[in-house]
This record gives sequence, structure tokens and C-alpha cells, in this order.
Amino acid sequence: MSLKIAAVLARILEIMFAVGIVGSTVVLVLSGIEDIKTLFGGEDEHHS
Amino acid sequence: MSTFQTPSPANRVRIVVATSVMLTFISYWRAAAIVLNDLASSAFYACGIAEQAVGKSAPWFIVGVMLFSFAVRAVYVESCSMFVRGGVYKVVKEALGGTLAKFSVSALMFDYILTGPISGVSAGQYIVGLINETIATADTHGWIPRAVHGLFHGTPHLNVDLTSVVFALAVTIYYWWENTKGIHESSEKALRVMQITTVMVVILLAWSALTLFKSGYNPVPLPIPENLHFSKESLGFLHHSFPEQSIGKMFGLLGILIAFGHSVLAMSGEESLAQVNRELAHPKLKNLKKAAIVIAIYSFVFTGLSALLSVMLIPDAVRVPVYKDNLISGLAMYMWGPLLLRLIFRAFVVVVGFLILSGAVNTAIIGSNGVLNRVSEDGVLADWFRFPHRKYGTTSRIINLVVILQIVTILASRGDVYVLGEAYAFGVIWSFTFNSLSMLVLRFKYKGVRGWKVPPNITIGGTEIPIGLLSVFLVLLSTALINLATKSVATVAGVSFSIVFFVIFTASEHANRKKYALSKQQMKDHFQLLQSDTVERAPLGIRANNLLVPVRDYNTLNHLRWVLEHTDTREQDVIVMTARVSQFGTAAYGLSAEQMFDDYEQTLFTRAVSIAESVGKKVSLLVVPARDSWSAIAQTAHNLESSTVVAGLSSKMTPAEQAFALGTAWEAIPEPKEQFVLQIIRPDGIVDTFRIGPHTPTMKNEDVVLLHRLWLNVTREPGLENIHHHDILTEALTRFARDFGAREHTEIVKDLQRHRVDSNATAPQVRRIADQIATVQPEPTRTERDGDAE
Repeated sequence: MSLKIAAVLARILEIMFAVGIVGSTVVLVLSGIEDIKTLFGGEDEHHS
Repeated sequence: MSTFQTPSPANRVRIVVATSVMLTFISYWRAAAIVLNDLASSAFYACGIAEQAVGKSAPWFIVGVMLFSFAVRAVYVESCSMFVRGGVYKVVKEALGGTLAKFSVSALMFDYILTGPISGVSAGQYIVGLINETIATADTHGWIPRAVHGLFHGTPHLNVDLTSVVFALAVTIYYWWENTKGIHESSEKALRVMQITTVMVVILLAWSALTLFKSGYNPVPLPIPENLHFSKESLGFLHHSFPEQSIGKMFGLLGILIAFGHSVLAMSGEESLAQVNRELAHPKLKNLKKAAIVIAIYSFVFTGLSALLSVMLIPDAVRVPVYKDNLISGLAMYMWGPLLLRLIFRAFVVVVGFLILSGAVNTAIIGSNGVLNRVSEDGVLADWFRFPHRKYGTTSRIINLVVILQIVTILASRGDVYVLGEAYAFGVIWSFTFNSLSMLVLRFKYKGVRGWKVPPNITIGGTEIPIGLLSVFLVLLSTALINLATKSVATVAGVSFSIVFFVIFTASEHANRKKYALSKQQMKDHFQLLQSDTVERAPLGIRANNLLVPVRDYNTLNHLRWVLEHTDTREQDVIVMTARVSQFGTAAYGLSAEQMFDDYEQTLFTRAVSIAESVGKKVSLLVVPARDSWSAIAQTAHNLESSTVVAGLSSKMTPAEQAFALGTAWEAIPEPKEQFVLQIIRPDGIVDTFRIGPHTPTMKNEDVVLLHRLWLNVTREPGLENIHHHDILTEALTRFARDFGAREHTEIVKDLQRHRVDSNATAPQVRRIADQIATVQPEPTRTERDGDAE
């Protein structure tokens, strides 16, 4: 029983991690594009 | 622009409390160097720890963590764009309230407390490793006498773990004393350390590339479940439920997550970004982003690539058994080329490791001191801890507490970097997790303007969904949770530590509540706090050319009494100021006026006011927050257009050193600025006077005689009859400047050094030159014709 609960918790952690990694990769790409603009001076600071 | 709050009742003493810290702003390069001094230090131990936990594919996880650190950095940039005086305590308190803020600070404290021991022990491992390797090499050449062999029962060697403990203790105690005295942290030092580190990194990468080309490499197994080899220790509590080698296969992705969790300490130090944000020069957000880019790229290249190279170049037979705690030294030893050259490079690696890791020990003490000061100011730690050291004025009781905890940790670890690293990761991951959770909550709780947001964000039905922020939080939370299960030592130690600190904070807060209520009432009865964004003359209602009297210790206010006895305050205003110094680490946190002016400042100003009343003179009172007291004094004198600063004699500096420190702070103020006079009042009443800023120097008699003789001789030349003394000086200084910048530079420096050692020693030489001029061309005494006689 406890092994089953552990397995369910493990799956939840796996999903959280997988979804997070995919989203973080998008963060990495988008912020990387902004970084290039910042470094080469093409970016205007925006306020949201 | 100044803003005021409470109106001014006549029966209370008015005190202006400035709320903007008087900082000297730094470029993004310097800010990046400060953060990298912490972040890059983990390159020296992170991969060794990860490989022991997950096996040979560990470098890929280190690379993965360094790539993920780009996303974590984005969260910190958003946090810093919202809270200039950011820091995890401030952010979590705003988002999640006081209770979770206390938990998050406990985790951060655990991070800081562990940073010192792991850095000190790791530096010790590198040094002892080099010593043992050098002795072993010397022994193979037969340079070690046989008698010494007898003493060690073979080749002489030091016990690595034990010696590392001794080294870590020595470094910690050294920085304990430096911090007790009040060490001055400079961004210049951080920049120099990073420049030296960069030289090492460039050599390391270039030489490794050559070695890969000449000698080939071992492939690094891909980060897939089949290649994960967890040790018993690295499964922690899961070890009881799952067989060691099957967990990766049972839960493919879970195995990856566990390995990721064991590598996460590679990005420790990222949180320092919030600490340096406050000091970044304008334009702040752009510079913050640039600093963050430099930090992320540098740490990715150094930590990530050195981890990969260590597995590619160091043979499996020695990598973990011999070099697990000093992998970069191992890398140096397995480069292509002669042994001597490799040993020299290894020594260089050790020097760099020593500089950066011992710097991290210091950063840990400063950071812990800063965090505990901040929570103490919020009333969640007894004021007793913040009482200043009698001689040095530092919060030595907090420093003592931190260092005692660090010493206990070092002794308990017995020099085991792996155990320290595992525990350290607890503080790192939970402080990141709390910060990202808070930023996520603030997206919904606070709808105001932000300087920047972590992308991407999508709007559904008018509600913005922070996809990027949520993703980073999910990775951090899942890693933090899996670490609870797999890092048993860290979980037990970290949770116990956090609970103990949480209980201390909560109990202190409860005990302080009554005391604070009484103290606040007393303060309201006696003082009226006027909050001002900036330090200006108008809020204080004072005139220009005033006297500024900095005070710190309420037992040494003789200089204030001296000023009041010698000044007619109807003609010249006297401002008593105290700088509320927040060292690196606390500058990140903002304080309200009441927090700036607490028990200690009340006692200090009560004594100052009582001295003024006893002399029958009026004084104005001012509190300014600052990173260092000299900058605060120089900037306040500048802003208030003070003609004179009158200070007491420092317990640790001579009057000349005090003047030099203030002069250096004055130089950092942008133009236009006015010179002023500094007077140091010694306890016996003797006054030392200095001019701060460019001024006519005091000339010695023999210098004046020499100048006059030269002038006499020059005026004999046809066409130079009407020349002035200052023309001689102009010519002499111009020639000096030219020579100093050219071939005679070294000779001039030597002469000046000789002069500095004994300024009187050069007097006979000057007199002799003056006499020679007089002997060659005797001339009756004359004075300059246009009244320019000096």
C-alpha cells in the first residue's frame, strides 16, 4: 500500500518536473533572445 | 525630492531619518564579479559530489543545472525589478507573510552557515592534495630522506580530511576576527579575484582542448536512466524502499530528477544577485540584466565545461578515488605535457581555489550577519544580538553565533566534502523555491508596474498566466521535495536547523512585542521621526557652511562636547549624524524609519541631546543608512554643504588614516563638489586638521627655501625677470608629471617610498640642494616684485 502511495507521489513529482523543464526551456530561449538584444543594445526597457 | 510624514509638535526632538542608503554605485562587471565569487566557487566541488551520488554521467546534470540557472536568474531579475531592496526575506514576507518568511530565512541561514564550512574544507582539500602530490613526486626522484620515510611508515603525507578541517577552522577564525573588526568589502577585490580566475579558466579550457586533440578522451555516458548509478547514501530514505540500481529503471524520469537534485548545488550563489542589485549604477534594470547574463554565461562555461572535461580527461581509476574532492586539480594533472608544467598549473589552480573559496567563507559570515541583522531589526531576534562591539562597533554577537555554528559544522563533517555538499543543497534549493513561489503569488497579489517579467505569459479571460515563472517554480519544488527523500543527512540537519531557528525567531518576536510597544511609546514621547527620501538641508532647516558631527558610540561623544563648546550655534548649525551601516547582504533589505531608529540610536541620540542641553546649544539630528560610514559622512557633508566635519579619534585608525578614508570616499562623489575640513578630536583635546579634496599643501620650511632659491636663479635669466614662484612650481610639477609617466617612474616611486618611510630624512638633502644653488650663484635676499611673495 505504502509502495503504491510512493509510486503515485513519484509520478506527480515526475510530471511536475517534466512540465517545469519544458517551460523552463521556453524561458531559457525567450530570455536568451532578450539577452542578445540587451548585450547588443537593441532593447528598449519595457514596463508591464 | 523629500517627503514628510508626521507634523512637528514643539516638545519633541526632531530627527530626520533618511531612507535611501548612501551607496557608491558599481558597474555591472563589478556586480557580476561579486556574485561570481560565490557562484563560481561551487565549480571546485559540485561535480565531485554529484559523481559520487549519481555516477559517471554527473557532468551532464551539472550542465543541465547550469542551463536551468539561466531560468532561475530570470526569476531573480523579476524579483529585483520589483524590490530594489529585494532578498528572500522581504520578498517572501510581502507574498506569503511573516511565518513563511521566517522559514525561508531559516533555510537561507542554513545555506549561509554551510557555505563557509564547505568552501573552507574544499580549499583545504585542494591545498593538502597539492602538498601530498608534490611530496610524492619529490619522493619518486629520491629527494625525501629515508629517515622521514621511517616517521611516516612510507612516503610522507598529510591526512587529507583532518588537515582540511584544520585549514577550514583557521580560515573561519581569521574571517571571524576580520569581521569582528569590521572588514571593508570592496568590489575591486572581487573583480581582481575574478580576473585571476578567468586567466585560470582560459588556460584550463585551451589546454584541455589541446589534450583532447593529442590524447583523446573518455566518453561521458548520456544522462539516461540506464546510466545512473546511485550509491546507498544518494538514495537517502528511498534506500529502504527501493533496491539501489533499479530505481532509475522503475521510474525513469524520477531517476533523472534525483540526479538533478544531487547536482543543484552547482548554482548556489545565484541568490547573491539580489544583494548586489541595490548597488548597481543607472540604468539599474539594464545593468542588472547584463550582470545576470555575464554571471550565467561565465558559470556555465566554468562549472559546466570543467565538469565535462574532468570525466573526459581524468581516468576512471583515479577520478573518484583520488580527485573526488579536488577535481580541477586532477584535471590539471591529466593535461598533455611535461609533469613539471602540470604541477605548476595545479599550484595555480590551488591558488585560485584558495582565493575564491576562502572569499566564499567570508561572504558566508557577512551574509549570515546581514540576514540576522535584518530579522533582528524586524523584532524577530533579541536586540541583545545587535549590540555593537565596544571597540569596533560591529554586531560581534551575531558574528560569534554564526562562526560558532560554522565551527561546529566543520568539526562534525570531519572534512567530508560530500556530506557538507549534500546538506548545503538543502538550504540552496529551499531558498530558491521560497523565492520563486513568492514571485508566483505576487503575480496574482500585486498587479502594479514591474520592471520586467519572466516570459512567457499568456492571458486567458483577462487573467495573466505566468507560464515561465510557474515552470521554474515546478522544477524547483519537485527538486526540493525529492531532495527531502534522497538527502537524509540534509533533510534531518536542514529541517532540525530550520525548526530551531524558526522557534528562536518566533519566541524572540513574542518576547520583543511587549518591549517594542513600550519602547515605541517612549520614542514617540521623546522623538519625532521625519522620514526623508534624501539628505538635504531644507528638511533639517539648516544653513550652509554648517558643522557635521558623526557619532557612533554613545560612550565616546567627547568630540560633540568639544564642538558645542567651541561653536556659536546661532552663527553656525551643528548636525549630529549617525550612519546606520548595513554591510553587504543587508543592503538588500529596506528598513522603515522606526527600524532605522531603534533602541541603540535612541540611547545614542538621547546622550547627544543631553550633552547639547548641558552646554545650552541646539543641534540637528540625522540618521542615514549606508554601506560604509565613510561614504555616508562624505556624501552627507556634500549634500548638506558642510564646511567642517568633526569626528572623534577612531579606535582602530590613526587620524591620518581616518582622513585618507574620508578623502577616498569624497573622491567617489561625482562632480561638482566642494572641499571641506576634517577635524579629529583626540580624547586629550588635541585637534588634527585635514583638508578633504584638492587643496594647497602645507609646505615645509626647507621646501620654501629651495623654491625661493630656484626662483632667484631663474629671474637672472634674460626675459624671466618677472617670473613668479608659482611659475616655478607649475614647471616643476609639469616635468614631474612627464617623468612619472615615462622612464623615471620607478626611480620616482622609490624616492617617494623612502620619503614616506621618514619624511624628515629628505630634509637635509633638500637643504643641501638649496645651499648648492646659493653657493653657485649667491644673491642678496629679494622678494617677488608683484607681491606674490610666499
